[in-house]
Amino acid sequence: MRTFVAILKDSYREAVDGFVVYAMLGLSALLILVAASMSFTPAEPDKAFGTIVRQFRVIVPEKGRSRAFADDGRNTFSTADVQPSGGGYKLRVLVKAQQIASGSVVGPNGLEPNLSKGDSFRAAVFQWRGATGDTVRIGVDEKGNPQIAKKGSKGKGVDFVLPTESTPDELRAVTDAQMEEFIKGQFVTHAGMSATVTRVPETEPSYVFDVTTTGGSAVQGWPHTAKIFFGTFTLDDESPLGATLWLVEDVVINRFGGTLALLVGMIITAFFIPNMLRKGSVDLFISKPIGRAQLLVYKYIGGLTFMFLVTAFTVGGIWFVLAVRSGYWNPSFLVAIPVLTFTFAVLYAISTLVATVTRSAVAAMLLSVGFAFFMFVFGQIKANYDERRANFPDRERPAWQATVVDGGNDALPRMRELDLIIRRAVADGTLTPPMKKVLVQSDEPAPLYATFGVSLLHIGWMLGVSCWWFSRRDY
Amino acid sequence: MSVIETVNLRKRYGPLEALKGVSLRVEKGQIYGLLGQNGAGKTTLIKILLGIVRLTDGEARLLGEPAGTVHVRRKVGYLPEDHQFPTYHTGYSLMDFYGSVYGVPADARRKKIPEALELVGIAGRMHSKIKTYSKGMKQRLGIAQALMHEPELIILDEPTDGVDPMGRKEIRELMSRLKEKGHTIFLNSHLLGEVELICDRVAILQRGELVREGTVAELTKQKGQYRLRLADGQAFPTDAVAALGYAAQPVAERPGLIEVALNEGQTIDPVVKLLADRGLNLRHLVENKQSLEDVFMKTVESAEPGVDRKKQRRGARPVGGKD
Repeated sequence: MRTFVAILKDSYREAVDGFVVYAMLGLSALLILVAASMSFTPAEPDKAFGTIVRQFRVIVPEKGRSRAFADDGRNTFSTADVQPSGGGYKLRVLVKAQQIASGSVVGPNGLEPNLSKGDSFRAAVFQWRGATGDTVRIGVDEKGNPQIAKKGSKGKGVDFVLPTESTPDELRAVTDAQMEEFIKGQFVTHAGMSATVTRVPETEPSYVFDVTTTGGSAVQGWPHTAKIFFGTFTLDDESPLGATLWLVEDVVINRFGGTLALLVGMIITAFFIPNMLRKGSVDLFISKPIGRAQLLVYKYIGGLTFMFLVTAFTVGGIWFVLAVRSGYWNPSFLVAIPVLTFTFAVLYAISTLVATVTRSAVAAMLLSVGFAFFMFVFGQIKANYDERRANFPDRERPAWQATVVDGGNDALPRMRELDLIIRRAVADGTLTPPMKKVLVQSDEPAPLYATFGVSLLHIGWMLGVSCWWFSRRDY
Repeated sequence: MSVIETVNLRKRYGPLEALKGVSLRVEKGQIYGLLGQNGAGKTTLIKILLGIVRLTDGEARLLGEPAGTVHVRRKVGYLPEDHQFPTYHTGYSLMDFYGSVYGVPADARRKKIPEALELVGIAGRMHSKIKTYSKGMKQRLGIAQALMHEPELIILDEPTDGVDPMGRKEIRELMSRLKEKGHTIFLNSHLLGEVELICDRVAILQRGELVREGTVAELTKQKGQYRLRLADGQAFPTDAVAALGYAAQPVAERPGLIEVALNEGQTIDPVVKLLADRGLNLRHLVENKQSLEDVFMKTVESAEPGVDRKKQRRGARPVGGKD
């Protein structure tokens, strides 16, 4: 353990000796400062609740758990009497529903719709509580035009629930408690807000509910005006808070910042092992009472630790200042710390192998960066191929394409899936389910065990070959 | 149990045979010098002892254990030739790092590091970055790091390289003190004068073969040659001495000095008696000695006259190992 700690400390000293790490830390600090310069001003409660409840027409069956949703425009939701209460708000939610005609009857004015079936609000509650039923996927064709995907298609697209049939008895059977549960569920779904709901008597097809929310405005769905550079520029005018945070955390920090951090991390750590293997230095290391494989693995872990610390500083710092500035403390973004470090571990294993064989930092750097680029391209090809295979399963394709894509996916580390894991965690933590369905593509599989398992095997294989090479060489 | 023991040690790098059956033994408490030209196999031998290079054949043991194991390396301190310390360390932090790797506890490190650096004379700069050190300071630091864990065996490859004459003297004195404390030192140096001054035993490697081995006295002694001088004004009886069966001739560069060569089985006593019988007064009589450098040069010349020629030549007879 003492040796391990000593080598970790040595790697740390080596890392902080160069200017690159200070440039990297400076960049991280700058990003944190930029994040700290952001302000999130919540919309006025009247306006905010109005915006939130207007989205209640969007229904996610299975009590909000379905992958598909329905947009029932027959119901109009609005609010009244919004007042602060404790840490939350008290308000009234008004629903104007429409009667559903079930054929026609002869009335005083001749042939009139038979309104005995019920109304659209009861239908919405019924659909929200029930099974998803049939769906239709709206995707894009090969030219990028919207199209209805074939039944059972697993390609890209958004799933819409087809109208479900309900009998008048079923609609009449919808209770007040179920309606209250629906409204409560809609607050969770569309705003990430918990509430207690009580129905107030009102002549149907109008409905009124007294709602008491807990918590303030720092919830996913509350509209906020986001400004940057201490109010100089407006980023988003009254967008849901979660959407803005998602934009910053996923798009800006994870995709661009993460890529940059991986790149700079690879450059800095590419020197660790070649420096150790330099003539005059390697003798000193190998003559010490530590096995060669152990030494190499410790050096590798030293590189990872460095990357972990830099990632933790950057991601943790940005998460913290965003949470302080917005008041939204969801920790999902912190998943990026271990997953980015793990992604780096995959690339650093390549770097270690190249460095051990060639003893050249430049070769280690170029090949590991090249491998990262190759993995990015391969990930894009695979995603594209999988989508086409799902959308157009009957189309004939050369067998070698499937062999290359599936074989490559089985053998190569799962860099794309690792990225998806971060993006989904960020989306889960910031976006409401409907926002997620629109903003984040979630059909691409990223199974945890396979993603980490295959990548770990890759790391093990690379390190195993490196250790074998290092152990049998004369220096 | 010998501290170092190699038996018929061989190392081959592809077609090149760097060590051709080297057998030597270093006992506890000795300062053992290893001499040889560049490429003679000295560093390869040291690297095999430390496990940096794998042996091809034969046997190498340190302190009774197979050479190069992690366990035995714990008992060895090593200063490599042309070492490159990580320049991001200070002298202190480097010692701390190596001390940790050797398993020296933190408290002991805090105590020993300043002491060891004081011993080699760079304690005043121990918190400066190594990149600011002169070559001599780096060399002293190298010696300090080899000593700090109190190793039983200290292997020093060119320890005085880059060190000024005063520093060399200090290092020699340090080695003597270490020897007195019971440490064994295996020294590889080109500075033959230093080796002669401090080493108990010396081995000369030539093209991978051990060609001479023995104590410094044994190697530098010139058997059967004496130099003598008579009192001023007295003539040396060359003919009478020749009649006794001895070859005597004046030393050209030292007027008055006569060199007498003894044949196998002869002693100088009959010559001394002859001079006394003739009433001649002997003022100077000393058995001829040669410097280690002379021995080395002769050995190397006989093994390989002229270092620039690369073709294989007849070598001197190896002491250990097979031809």
